Amino acid sequence: MAKRVLVVDDAIFMRNMIKDIFASGGFEVVGEAANGLEAVEKYKELKPDLTTMDIVMPFKSGIEATREIIKQDANAVIIMCSALGQESLVMEAIEAGASDFIVKPFRAEDVLAVVKKVLGEA
Amino acid sequence: MAPMDMSKYLGLFVSEASEHLESLGRELLALEKEKTRERVDAMFRHAHSVKGMASSMGFEAIAVLAHRVEDLVDSVRGDLALLSREVVDALFAATDALSAQVKAASAGEPAPDSTKLLEVLNVHVASLTGNAPAPTPVQDAIVVAPRPAPAKPPAANGDVEATVTGARPEPSPLDKPRYAVRVRIAHTCQVPGVRAFLVHKKLSQLGVVHELKPALEELKAGRIPEGMIALELETPAGEAGIQQAVRNISEVELVTVKPAPPPQAAPPPAPPTPASAANGAAAPDRPREPTEVVGRTVRVKTELLDYFLDAVGELMLATARIREVGKALPAPSRPPLEDAVYRLHALVKDLHDKVMSVRMTPLSVITDRLPRAARDISRRRSREVELTITGAEIELDRAIIDDLADPLLHLLRNAIDHGIEPPDARADAKKPATGRVQVTVRRQRDRVVVEVEDDGRGMDAQKLKEAAVARGQLTADAAARLTDKEAFMLSCLPGVSTATDVSEISGRGVGMDAVKRAVESVGGTLEIESEKGRGTRFTLRLPLTVAVVNLLLVQAGAEIVGLPIGKVLAVLEADHQALSRSRETPLISHGTSLLPVHVLAELLHVPPTPRTGVRPYLVMESDTGKVALAVDRLLGQEEVVLKALSRPLDLVAGLSGVTILGSGRPIFILDVPRLLAA
Repeated sequence: MAKRVLVVDDAIFMRNMIKDIFASGGFEVVGEAANGLEAVEKYKELKPDLTTMDIVMPFKSGIEATREIIKQDANAVIIMCSALGQESLVMEAIEAGASDFIVKPFRAEDVLAVVKKVLGEA
Repeated sequence: MAPMDMSKYLGLFVSEASEHLESLGRELLALEKEKTRERVDAMFRHAHSVKGMASSMGFEAIAVLAHRVEDLVDSVRGDLALLSREVVDALFAATDALSAQVKAASAGEPAPDSTKLLEVLNVHVASLTGNAPAPTPVQDAIVVAPRPAPAKPPAANGDVEATVTGARPEPSPLDKPRYAVRVRIAHTCQVPGVRAFLVHKKLSQLGVVHELKPALEELKAGRIPEGMIALELETPAGEAGIQQAVRNISEVELVTVKPAPPPQAAPPPAPPTPASAANGAAAPDRPREPTEVVGRTVRVKTELLDYFLDAVGELMLATARIREVGKALPAPSRPPLEDAVYRLHALVKDLHDKVMSVRMTPLSVITDRLPRAARDISRRRSREVELTITGAEIELDRAIIDDLADPLLHLLRNAIDHGIEPPDARADAKKPATGRVQVTVRRQRDRVVVEVEDDGRGMDAQKLKEAAVARGQLTADAAARLTDKEAFMLSCLPGVSTATDVSEISGRGVGMDAVKRAVESVGGTLEIESEKGRGTRFTLRLPLTVAVVNLLLVQAGAEIVGLPIGKVLAVLEADHQALSRSRETPLISHGTSLLPVHVLAELLHVPPTPRTGVRPYLVMESDTGKVALAVDRLLGQEEVVLKALSRPLDLVAGLSGVTILGSGRPIFILDVPRLLAA
């Protein structure tokens, strides 16, 4: 059974890229969100196996959203997608409960490698 | 590693990046008026997004420039007072440069050079933060447009070497065994500090961490010699648990885990080169989807919208045809068919309305660009101008909006360039130093009215008339007959010449003829009101949609043609022989004026039907005033779907489109002013 993924990023461009990467890895992208608010709602609705979360987003940041999702579901697997130079933000996100992170620009194999590890399938 | 092929994302990149850049510009404009933290934060987000996308696409120039904008915006976040005029100008320039670069990228052309601009930005950032700019990582990617991005440090691969050295159970009263753990961050990791932090967090979830080396603060700062982290972990999870935990962390090798005493140096197992590396780059090719779902709204390709409109138009024509055919049926069969056709017509009309509403776009798409243009023009010309825009949320058909963008911009430019006087002239005239330009949009039944009004120097009707006569575009007689309102329209005649003429005589620049033509081509009208010394107002009356027009069908000779009913001002009747003449031109009286008569059949070069007695005359506008058009017969009115002409018919002066009547007969729709001018 393919693992279910929720993709969160405010840029359609990024979401598409990420979706394609997951598709190539045999995952099933079951939902998308464009900001922290939607992310929390979609998570509730979809209960994905894995969530990729952008950090800088309008309305609610990825960090806030991570915090709220973890509150709902302590086992949520959330991978932060950050840009270089956002170290402290990523660490905040890790504090808030993020499981791992990837740094943009990222390549498909790196993303999938991180995902495999985080899901314990290495 | 082979570069990734990002070509299929180009379209999306361009449209999203452009949106972000537009928003960036808008925030900047608003910021100039009032500095708020929210706006600066929003600007940061937009620059950040552009940077991220550009770097994924391998567009180094764009990524670096966006990065610099991001840095600059970031450096004034803490203290908005730092946002000086120079910084704002630099940001404007950067936004423009980024837009140009994105355009170039979409056309597959190399980005215009921005080194000077980058230097300016670097200087600003350095002076505000004291830091040199950080490098911008860019994906090694290929887009159909040749943009070989230079090789950048590859993103970290998931190397894990892990050795777990067992820990001798501590002779302590505690239940939980303690293990000495050593972990190494892969040298390819781009953010060792964060990676280390994550390791610390994960291990902390297993138990209590002691003797962390380097200390946590050093770890977070990325100061990790050789990437080595050592600690002691008090945990019930056992070596297996620790190994499992570290195995699940990317970019990290577990070097040793063992019971507290000295670590055994076990040879690190060969890094399992991730089989995923063999997966290579891009996702399987998928046909580009025509729609993307974003929340509850949908992005639709504009070609699809045009297709819908066309298809619905065809549906309406086909329905009209069926109705016509039905009329020829024997009486008993007619009612059921008519009912059915009536229902069909209602459904198609409804569908048409829905499609049209999808095409409706608020005028703000155009007017949003005006403030920026106004700012630039007034700065360049050293005029103080205040631009107000109201009603921009009112919507018009996409196609009309597309055609209106340049004309509106042109009217604005004219108002500032030629309408508003320089400050000293305004002072002399006892006007406020700041000129006012007002753009107002409102609905008026089935029209949208757009007004562009300024409080500048106004237009001189007399001078306009004289100039037109001097240029031979008008006879002195005709000029004398013109009302002031008609005289102002002379400014729209092609050939308003040199710059010296312009401000003095017409009060407007060249290009007004293009504006008028554009407005009329969408089925609208342009009116000019002006008072010398007080100001000028341009009024554009636009239909909501282009596609369906109400036509007056007339016969001229053997030809049937359509005239937009909106353009027919009046219908007169007279006996052609009995008309008075001025030289060769017959004249017909209308109200208090005498209008020149043109015979439509002659204009169309078709043999006129010889007739005597009374015939209809249509009063219509031309470039040089009202005229009366003699036709043979009025055939009635019909609501039709206008179809554009293609090559070479679109080059024929005077034809504005074609349609098919219910009878199945195709007819031309005329543009009378163009026809007369030809």
